Amino acid sequence: MTRRVAVIGGAASPIGKLQTAADAPLQALEHEILAPLVIDAMATAGLPKEEVGALVFAMCRPYTLQKYFATFMANCLRLPLTGTIMEVLGNGMTGGMAFDVAVNTVALGQADVALALGINMESQVASADHAMSTMRATGDVDFHTIFGFTPIAWYAMDAVRYMHEFGAARAQLASVAVKDRRHARLNPIAQFRKPLSLEEVLAARPIVEPLGLYEVPPRGDGAVCLVVCREGVAKATGRPYALVRGRGFSHEGAHQISEVPSDMTAFVAAQGAAAAAYRAAGIAPADLDLAELYAPCSIVQVLAGEALGLTPRGRGAAQAAAGETSLGGRIPICTSGGCLSRGHPAYVTGLLTIYELWEQLTHRAGERQVRNARLAAGSCELGNYNAALIHILEAVA
Amino acid sequence: MSLPIIDLPSARPWPPRVSAFTKPFWDALMEGRLITTRGKRSGRLTFPPKPFCPHDWGREVEWVELSGRGKLYAQTVIHAAPAAFAGEVPIRNGIVDLNEGLRVAARIVGEPALDTAVECVVLRYSDGPLFGFRAIET
Repeated sequence: MTRRVAVIGGAASPIGKLQTAADAPLQALEHEILAPLVIDAMATAGLPKEEVGALVFAMCRPYTLQKYFATFMANCLRLPLTGTIMEVLGNGMTGGMAFDVAVNTVALGQADVALALGINMESQVASADHAMSTMRATGDVDFHTIFGFTPIAWYAMDAVRYMHEFGAARAQLASVAVKDRRHARLNPIAQFRKPLSLEEVLAARPIVEPLGLYEVPPRGDGAVCLVVCREGVAKATGRPYALVRGRGFSHEGAHQISEVPSDMTAFVAAQGAAAAAYRAAGIAPADLDLAELYAPCSIVQVLAGEALGLTPRGRGAAQAAAGETSLGGRIPICTSGGCLSRGHPAYVTGLLTIYELWEQLTHRAGERQVRNARLAAGSCELGNYNAALIHILEAVA
Repeated sequence: MSLPIIDLPSARPWPPRVSAFTKPFWDALMEGRLITTRGKRSGRLTFPPKPFCPHDWGREVEWVELSGRGKLYAQTVIHAAPAAFAGEVPIRNGIVDLNEGLRVAARIVGEPALDTAVECVVLRYSDGPLFGFRAIET
């Protein structure tokens, strides 16, 4: 027997450069950034701290000095717990998993209120050095890393294959970055809020061909806290909330590359997770008012959008260029500005996804508010979308 | 059948670990042969080679030689590389579907177009081999 679960509160830091240089006389400390967000998030929920029964953290990057960060934070916040406390890790899925576990903890009755939270600090680590770590996270260390593959190199190969098979134009793909920036300009926590033109995206220096600087994830830091609770608790607050209507997960049993040739750009795990989530929610993709997709590169947003059934297969880039996935369009995607412009502190990106959906579904999104937003989907992934975790949320006011 | 060999003066930027099990693969590559394992019960190939068959979990496998020929499925040129690979930038890597029905990722030599027929080449660095693919000359 499981219980219905709601997102009743949230708070996030500005996304960007929060980490201080190793030799800076004054250091930015993770708990000093995250703890106030916990207090802010609980204030938005209108719940006292004594209600919190569980803490589920996205694991910190290895650059965070404090170990056992979760229990350290429980002490910092003086939070005795009877549900659970843990740090989860699953590459890009990390934040989404933290949310998922918090939801499960409440659904199973182990806690009435659970916090899903985390802080990702990495911006002071040079990209080439950071890549020495991330290159070991994708593919096989002894058979793929040896060639110099990086995580985004696999997405770049998706882009090459996609354009080859479907005839998508380079500029159509690049339009995703322009659209994301337009959205980010309306998001106060976004890392990048200056205007960005299609010409600038196309002329950017290459990072992993064909993708240039503006179509790959920026490096950045960020912290976020979500308040998850039993629906009855949410109702009793009298405040609007986002109800978790469905959840789907799929892993294709492949790590980055399937040795059995398959359609790499179909993102079959996302297809499977989406089908399960829609079934659980009793909805079809056309019922969604918006979607916040885990998409570190322009191509990933296109392919994930197609896999979730938001755009037709092979047409995602063209429809992005035509404005169908923009605010005001048929199905707004990444209203936060997405990984490309809202920012991508990777271990908490999955939490930022739910944060955006909560803001939209409780009509707190200000200038980027999707009118009458009622149903929304959020995704996260790992590898080359070898696994996908998708949640469907519904506005309840 | 011996694969073409390209000699390179430098050491591999980030050499693979070699286990007692994978040593035959790297030794064969050094001699110009691309080999992998096949499950004896399933009859199915796997890559990278494994001491069991991932398809049916059969424990008995045998080494088989691959043609090294296939088609280029995808590729990219990496300009922002991990620190260890700074000396190799820009790096062209890709994915090849071998004629035997196996998909592998590797270095790409030259600039072949997608779906081009490619052949495996041994990249013989000063400290050991890697493998790559290039267009088959017609």
